[in-house]
Amino acid sequence: MKIFILIILFTYSLFSKVDQKQLELGEKLYKNTCISCHGVNGEGNDDMNLIVKSRNLSKSILTKEQTYFIIKDGAHYWGAKSDIMPAFKYVFKDYEIRALSSYISEIFNPNIKQTIKKEFLKSGNIIKENISKMLKVGEKVFKRNCSLCHGIKGEGDGIAIDSLEDSIFPYNLTKTILSTQQMFLYVKYGGHAWGTHKSDMPAWGKKYDNFTLKSVVKYVDEVLRDNKY
Amino acid sequence: MKKITILSIFVACGLFATDHIIDQKDKTFIPHLITVKVGDTITFKNSDPFAHNAYTDDEDNEFDIGMQAPGTQIQVPIKAVGTFNIECAIHPNMLLEVIVK
Repeated sequence: MKIFILIILFTYSLFSKVDQKQLELGEKLYKNTCISCHGVNGEGNDDMNLIVKSRNLSKSILTKEQTYFIIKDGAHYWGAKSDIMPAFKYVFKDYEIRALSSYISEIFNPNIKQTIKKEFLKSGNIIKENISKMLKVGEKVFKRNCSLCHGIKGEGDGIAIDSLEDSIFPYNLTKTILSTQQMFLYVKYGGHAWGTHKSDMPAWGKKYDNFTLKSVVKYVDEVLRDNKY
Repeated sequence: MKKITILSIFVACGLFATDHIIDQKDKTFIPHLITVKVGDTITFKNSDPFAHNAYTDDEDNEFDIGMQAPGTQIQVPIKAVGTFNIECAIHPNMLLEVIVK
């Protein structure tokens, strides 16, 4: 029995060491590369005067895996209109990108998965709802509200984009990396709650109930998006 | 005689119709509550440096002005008695309450 416990402790210490090494590498890369835009604590660096203000990583809705893909492919690949967040696959090796995404997730926002689950559960279950009714409601609200900025096909090319506030570039929703739960929380609480610039995507939860918001997300997910992340 | 009376009523309505100016500034309809009458018009004036919209789903007064560029004005007619809300499709906090007498 003692030997068994010793083996478990030894294995655990090995993996802890690997994780620690990965975090150390991630920290080093972050401080060498990301810190200039995202700041020391991941909260952004206003001194950079970027066209698109960098996200507050401590509020990011992205999981570790999603963070990995954003660093690897760049935000534009996943629907951002601007390419200010570049694709680091041309700069870093894969294990370095994994180390970086681990560091960002573990240090700045370690509980995001629980937060998403908890917030989503608060909004009630929609499994029993009629899907065709949801798509109908979702289409109506999307076309009336969302399409002005995101475009009728969700490609981020709505008729209002040239007349929006500075540094707002609506996402191409057909390429979004967000899950339906994440999209719902993003729409409900607005982008600022999840780390974007303060006057970015507004909080529609003040205007629409959970069913309506979930219907819009359903419409985006089933009808508009290309990728099924 | 009947025709003349009806004609007089239409002329009177036209003469006394009022245009109500609603300013869209700092993502707010100003004023946020108005009382109007049938035949009046509402002019939406976008004083913000970014786009706005105004619409209502009220059955008898339904309209949607679409995307309104900064610095522009768009007029809509009031067609029927009732109370309804006008909202901006881009900014969810904007609300204008209209009472039609």
